[in-house]
Amino acid sequence: MTVQEIMERAGFTETTLVIAYLKDAVHLIQSNSKERLKVEKYNIIDGERDYLLPQDLIAIKSISVKDTTDSKYKKIRRLTSEPILTEDTDPE
Amino acid sequence: MSYDTNKTWLYRLEGRDIHLYQYVDGAAIDTLAGYKIALPNEYYGSRLIYPNEDITNGLRIEYTALNEPFVAEALETTTAKISGTTIAFVDGGGGSDTITDSGSGFVTAGFEATDKIRIIGSASNDGDYQLTNAAAGTLTMATALLTAETASESVTIYQIPKEDSSPSETSHVNLNRMLSLAAVDYVKAMVSDFTGDIQKKEYYIKEFWKKVGDNESNKRKISVTFPISPFAVK
Repeated sequence: MTVQEIMERAGFTETTLVIAYLKDAVHLIQSNSKERLKVEKYNIIDGERDYLLPQDLIAIKSISVKDTTDSKYKKIRRLTSEPILTEDTDPE
Repeated sequence: MSYDTNKTWLYRLEGRDIHLYQYVDGAAIDTLAGYKIALPNEYYGSRLIYPNEDITNGLRIEYTALNEPFVAEALETTTAKISGTTIAFVDGGGGSDTITDSGSGFVTAGFEATDKIRIIGSASNDGDYQLTNAAAGTLTMATALLTAETASESVTIYQIPKEDSSPSETSHVNLNRMLSLAAVDYVKAMVSDFTGDIQKKEYYIKEFWKKVGDNESNKRKISVTFPISPFAVK
């Protein structure tokens, strides 16, 4: 459906504002129904705990780590509480 | 070497960061020439440690984003698709790269110049590409995109929506028909909010979520069966 058709159906003629509202609508839809998914991959680095979430993230569907024995990504579980660390540098 | 990552890796979300941990149950280990070795005189037991190896593209995050909200063509007409083992990839060197089909089925399948396509099933050319020309037996694109590959794999090529990065009145919203109708309700709700009509706004927001919900339930076909208890008294 074109932006023009949506404007006619809504009875509103401010194109810039309608485009902004449509972006909000897509954002809400993506936040709740996971209509279209995107995948981002990062290198895991020895001794590095912190990785930045994608800047354009709306909602997470899954987080996986590659199993190098069979080269498959496997979903990992979420820690619900803060782990107790005796050292906070490189505890290997 | 990572193994059983679904059991031995965990994550925690902290603000905009994701923290990765490995669960270890045993001696502290180190990697020597690719082999894990137990270190003497170290703690032995269950604990969480920071990732203890490099894994290229090891962390995969699947998520939703505000990607390509507007496209140049309606989703309903983005339907060109071809599959087969007659498709080969030609690296044109300094010239244009091409995809060839000995069955000459590209135009019949609906491909046109400037279409955006996605390739799956090839040995080394899976990905998204932008066409510069489409003929019955050849799809052409810019140089240095494809790796030469003879026809043998079962390859599928299909058209995907092309983003319109400068949306205007002629742009299409990148949603199916049902969600486009939901977007109309959302715009109506915001217009009602703009004019101070809160009751109308509430009504249209309800309609918006109803259509989003309908769109989700349209994807599912659910049947529920109830077994009769052998001890039921009739």
